[in-house]
Amino acid sequence: MTETCSVASKLPRGTQSFVRRVPAVRLLRTALALLSLLGQADCRRDADDAGGGFPRGETFYVAGWQWGEPASFNPLLSNPDWPVSTMNFVYETLLMYDSITGKMVPLLAESYATHAESVEVTLNPAARWNDGKPVTAWDVAYTFELGKRYKSLNIAPIWQYLKAVRALNEAGKEVPVELNATEGYPRRVVFELNAEKKNPLVVLDALQAQRIIPRHVIEPMLAAHGGNLDDFDKLKFDKDAVSSGPYKLFSYSSEKIAVVRDDNYWGNQALHGGKRPTVKFVVHPIYKSNDHFSIALQQGRLDASSTFVPRIWLKAKKGVQSWLSKEPFFLSSAMPMLIVNHKRAPLTNVHMRRAMAFAINYKDIRELAVSGYSEPLKPGLILPFGLEQKYFSDADTQKYGTWFDPERAKAELKAGGYTPRFGADGELLETLDESGRKVPTVFVKSPTGWSDWESIVRISVKSMRAVGIDARERFVDASLFWNALFEGDFDLIMNTPSSAPSPSKPWSRFEILMTTQDFAPLGDKMYKNMGRFNDPKAPGYIPRIDELLTRIPSMTDEGELLAAYHELNVIFMQLQPDLPLVYRPDAFYEFSAKHWSNMPSAANPYLPPLTPGDRLGTNMLWAIEPVTH
Amino acid sequence: MLNQYPTLKHILGRAGWYFVTFLVAVTINFFLPRLGDANPVDTMMAKVSAGLDTASAKEKEESYLKEFGLVELDPSGHVQRDAQGKPVRTTLASQFANYVGMSLRGDLGSSILQHPKRVSEIIKAALPWTLALQLPTIVFGWLLGNVLGALAAYKRGVFDQLMYPMALLASAIPAFCFGILLVYVFGIRLEWFPAVGGYDDGLSPALSRQFIASASYYYVLPFLSVFLIVVGGQAIGMRSMCIYELGTDYVKYAKLLGVKESKILFYMFRNAMLPQLTGLALALGTMVGGALITEMIFSYPGLGMAVLTAIQGNDYPLITGCTLLVTVTVLIANFSVDILVGILDPRIRAAQRTGK
Repeated sequence: MTETCSVASKLPRGTQSFVRRVPAVRLLRTALALLSLLGQADCRRDADDAGGGFPRGETFYVAGWQWGEPASFNPLLSNPDWPVSTMNFVYETLLMYDSITGKMVPLLAESYATHAESVEVTLNPAARWNDGKPVTAWDVAYTFELGKRYKSLNIAPIWQYLKAVRALNEAGKEVPVELNATEGYPRRVVFELNAEKKNPLVVLDALQAQRIIPRHVIEPMLAAHGGNLDDFDKLKFDKDAVSSGPYKLFSYSSEKIAVVRDDNYWGNQALHGGKRPTVKFVVHPIYKSNDHFSIALQQGRLDASSTFVPRIWLKAKKGVQSWLSKEPFFLSSAMPMLIVNHKRAPLTNVHMRRAMAFAINYKDIRELAVSGYSEPLKPGLILPFGLEQKYFSDADTQKYGTWFDPERAKAELKAGGYTPRFGADGELLETLDESGRKVPTVFVKSPTGWSDWESIVRISVKSMRAVGIDARERFVDASLFWNALFEGDFDLIMNTPSSAPSPSKPWSRFEILMTTQDFAPLGDKMYKNMGRFNDPKAPGYIPRIDELLTRIPSMTDEGELLAAYHELNVIFMQLQPDLPLVYRPDAFYEFSAKHWSNMPSAANPYLPPLTPGDRLGTNMLWAIEPVTH
Repeated sequence: MLNQYPTLKHILGRAGWYFVTFLVAVTINFFLPRLGDANPVDTMMAKVSAGLDTASAKEKEESYLKEFGLVELDPSGHVQRDAQGKPVRTTLASQFANYVGMSLRGDLGSSILQHPKRVSEIIKAALPWTLALQLPTIVFGWLLGNVLGALAAYKRGVFDQLMYPMALLASAIPAFCFGILLVYVFGIRLEWFPAVGGYDDGLSPALSRQFIASASYYYVLPFLSVFLIVVGGQAIGMRSMCIYELGTDYVKYAKLLGVKESKILFYMFRNAMLPQLTGLALALGTMVGGALITEMIFSYPGLGMAVLTAIQGNDYPLITGCTLLVTVTVLIANFSVDILVGILDPRIRAAQRTGK
């Protein structure tokens, strides 16, 4: 708001001091200011370019990462708030994964190499914490080793695949840790693989996902809390946190979180040719409903968003753009699916599962439930496009796959000995099994109010009932939903397992659904293979699946890898342990070119479709330009 | 011995009853959210378990259960386990004892889902917005509504014929419908007012003129969405009350005596006011619970959304903290009206005196 817009400033001098003296008159003053705004429509536009606060020309508004009130920016929490929750604004990863090229882009690490027994990383010599200290191999080793010390940290599970993380100097020697070393510090990190569970893929995943924390700051703080992580977790890290990234936390409230550029960021020289980001502030407003992000995007109040914007083609004329300008608009990397409970009849019967897979109308799901933001679904667990395409076999899917075909669904039911009984109105009454008993109704669980999932479930249920499978929707409270998922309290349940593009795809998608590691009975929690598929203690256990899952990560021969993926995908299609329904992006990416130009898109693909602050997407802040009106 | 001071006796008696009500309400507030199957740690685990293996996830779950006092600890501070190795959950009774102890010390605890934030911090940040939205809408809406209603009843004619259907319409529109309409017409189509938020995204709350101007501008639609409905509802109520009063003997008698019209209006207004006053107290009491619908439609800051997410995620300390606040304000507002009505209405005062 400019000076001339305020009635209060136009009041005679005497009145002004009166206004200042009497607090009760403040209300009146506010009302006057309000009236002035009503009267002068052009002032409204100025309100955006507020002189104080965040100047529009230097501020980028992003959304989709923070839904509730921010509480803590502690880097050791599993769920810190934005921007610590996403990557590379405040804390940085060693590498960044480019989901389009499949390559790792250097960040804290200038290079990496995969060897037979280890993965090695070399740090950029210029990498610095914002207190001026160098980012050392000790910091990296420390970050990972904390997971050995504290089993509840998100980095902990990697230790089943690691023997040691060593910090080596140029000569390849380990040197004793010096907290305040500024030179002669080690820059080589060697991740020694566990020989029994050799899996370089999960290590590569971690290199592009794990934020590196400063040992010289965190260790003394932990020590001050007697090494008690629960106490350490109460620290909010909301002031002057030591980090290595290009931005620092600026302010936060229940309405927004803002970060500000760190002009001394080490990467400006080392990675971006001496350039600093064109954006000074990045602000994440926190709205209370998904629609508000869409509205804000249309009105140019947001520059990029990672939220679900329904029917985006209608918003194109308002300047809302996505990665592609036509269907499917987004790049998919995830598969929302129905997880099947393999401990409950009739789902134990492969004919029933395949009948379901033939029954579901995937086209309706794609067009009606997800606004067409998906390529047509093909059978199996491997994406038929992008980087995974090389492992996808069209011949196999023709031979073993399932697709929407009600007649084949009915045939499978018949093969399984099931007889549906329909009423006079064509409505399914019940399904009988071989012995003439009623097959129990199969309930499909999904959280209440997740509208896209609700529509997916409704369409699935409708198409299953049409062929004679007695399925029903069951929408439950979100908190009950998650417990049911982990404890196996469901028949069919909606889930999108392992959605983020990463170096370990498609292996990690197979692994999370089919591994029998830590197999637990219904009622106990399992965070992988929630459907209890392929019980290692039950008759009919197929050891080949676990064997393939264990061997694929360390395969280096492309031919061998191809054969293994083909075999695994054929097993999936034949046994249909779960029911993939549609493709979907891991993170949506929409933007408005109203205030910033040169945003990445399919037509200008210098970066993958990610919002700034989301992994590699951060790099766009050096490339975009303010639009001068 | 208080018999010489009937008013004081009445007040103390009422206060006693309010205290009992308070205790019952606090107990219910504590137990209700905990009766369901869900528990807040499950909700948290859903958020943080991605990528964890089963063993680490269990470890993490137990550390949360321990942190929030939901499992029994042995004297050395370790989680107690039953025969199957599962952690032993704290009984509701001991959780309640813990809660009462903390509440007496004025400690509302820390939120589970917004861990490690304190409940008092969350309430402190949201309450001013809730009050700023609710207090003026309720008070001014109530005042304007009552004046309009009384005028309509007294004047009749064209004024009433216009006012009455309009008030009916305003009070009959559901608040969310009206809010959405306002957003659509003035926020999205015409773009006269911002559709989303409590102030400009480019500003931070401060006592600057710029911020106040922005907040006032953003205030218009949320305010109107509630205000007009309150006015409508109050006007209808007051109109009926006044029409009833107009037919009473004392008004007819006063008219016959030739008492001044403004005097008659004053008497009438005073009598018609009493039930309206009770309504006002109730509205003021519940207002701290937040205008949830308005907050959702406008993404307006406030307590309503905090309460909703707390309930959805079974954030026990935040739920009990907020319901405690609502309980206290409702009781205080009702108590004040109880006393006030006694002072305003001679009939009630007389009844209190004689103890009938």
